[in-house]
Amino acid sequence: MARLRSLPGLSALVACLALLLIWDALARAFAVSGLPPPWGALRQLPSLLSDPETLLNILASLRRMAIGFFVALACAVPVGLMMGRSAVVAAFFNPLFMVIYPVPKAALMPLIMLWIGVGDVAKVLVIFLGVSLPVVYHSFQGARAVEEKMLWSAAAMGLSARARLLRVVLPAALPEIMVGARTGVVLALITMVTSEMIARQTGVGNIFFTALDMAQYDTVYAMIIIIGALGFACDWGFEAVRRVAVAWAEPSHQIAVGSA
Amino acid sequence: MTSRSTSWRRNLATLLAGALPILAVLMLWYAVCALELAPVSLLPPPDAVFGRFLVLLGDRTFLSHAGITLFRLFAGFGIALVIGVGIGILAAGSRTVAGLMQPVIRVLAPVPKIALYPAFVLTLGFDHSSKIALVVADAVFPILLATYQGAAAVEPKLVWSARAAGASQTRCLFTVVLTAALPSILTGARIGLIISCIVVFLAEMITSTDGLGQLLVRAARNFQTVDMFEPIIAISVLGLILNAAFNAVSARLLVGFSDQR
Repeated sequence: MARLRSLPGLSALVACLALLLIWDALARAFAVSGLPPPWGALRQLPSLLSDPETLLNILASLRRMAIGFFVALACAVPVGLMMGRSAVVAAFFNPLFMVIYPVPKAALMPLIMLWIGVGDVAKVLVIFLGVSLPVVYHSFQGARAVEEKMLWSAAAMGLSARARLLRVVLPAALPEIMVGARTGVVLALITMVTSEMIARQTGVGNIFFTALDMAQYDTVYAMIIIIGALGFACDWGFEAVRRVAVAWAEPSHQIAVGSA
Repeated sequence: MTSRSTSWRRNLATLLAGALPILAVLMLWYAVCALELAPVSLLPPPDAVFGRFLVLLGDRTFLSHAGITLFRLFAGFGIALVIGVGIGILAAGSRTVAGLMQPVIRVLAPVPKIALYPAFVLTLGFDHSSKIALVVADAVFPILLATYQGAAAVEPKLVWSARAAGASQTRCLFTVVLTAALPSILTGARIGLIISCIVVFLAEMITSTDGLGQLLVRAARNFQTVDMFEPIIAISVLGLILNAAFNAVSARLLVGFSDQR
């Protein structure tokens, strides 16, 4: 059992297989055209993935997602850190974020489309908004929990306030920031799919929902598998980065959860 | 006496500082409209938007749409709460359940649940059940994980004492462990609640005939810019109210726990 557990890939594979079997059983039990057995969707996968247009669409989606994610990270982390270290900044931003938090960011898509069109900028902006809030929140929590004594020592040794933020608070808050960024990765993916569904031009969401409208159910389920795999791959890749970047911190058992 | 008055003053200062950016956004919005930098059809003035919101609060159709959204939200959240807490507690109590659930959760938790929505629509239909299913799928994971983490961290001495006093293992799980894990469960439930809020709106935007999300899509199709703002304001207000209500409930439930929210 212990050796099995040391192979996380294997248990995940077994879990995937179990899910496919459950799906198959459900498809047999319901026997409706809306739920085909998984094998049809799996057979659809190679032809979808070898189609250059689909691949280009997926790449375009991923590019938008990456831009939105990294811009959000660059903006949200400094804001969160400053909120954590200064009560004034925290008091200043907190209510604003509380008002924005329960708004689904993809719901702003129709308005943003009115203002700046349906192009890449609108989608990247929505992804940016979706990623920013959890990252701000976790950076805030991380910066707030920094040991005061470390800051005092740094100040006593002559570090300026800005250098302290950069060289003491940032590394100390990094594990917590990573938790926020991990939620952000999953959120970026969700917002990406939803924004492409609302502004159907290119991308994964476009293929997905167009197939749904055309009643190509095998393609719909194949896209569900692809999007699910993307989510899993993003999360897994992120966990790998996190393990290297904050190897000194306690391993977080948190699994990323989030929504647009 | 003095400490009380200074803390009161500090609270007021916090409140004012927090109001500033919101006021600044509103002022900017107003200024853009007053200087006619943007056409009214694209950006209606804030007084028109909020005035319309106040009117809609007395409007029966708008309220019934909001009611439908609320019903789906609470149905989904309730089911997710029961499933999440149930499985979380069982997984903390039994290694077999934990071993079975862990890989499945590892695979499913990072999957964007919105991708499952077409599958729900195709199997459960366009009505309430597909939206509720999506809310459950999205809200259940934070609740389950928080429950499991909270229950796994319960002081073993508490369980030992209860067992020594003659409680059965199952009874122990649902009386001692569940109660001791309450702060963690509530944290998870709160994340789940906000997620439910967001997800129900998105589901209604994608395929629906009613609900707040559908109102937004309908306004967007008819190019009624003012009406596009109303569902967004409504969901934001709803989220704030739910958050406050949740805080009140958890403060009541957590009497006796030290400094945990």
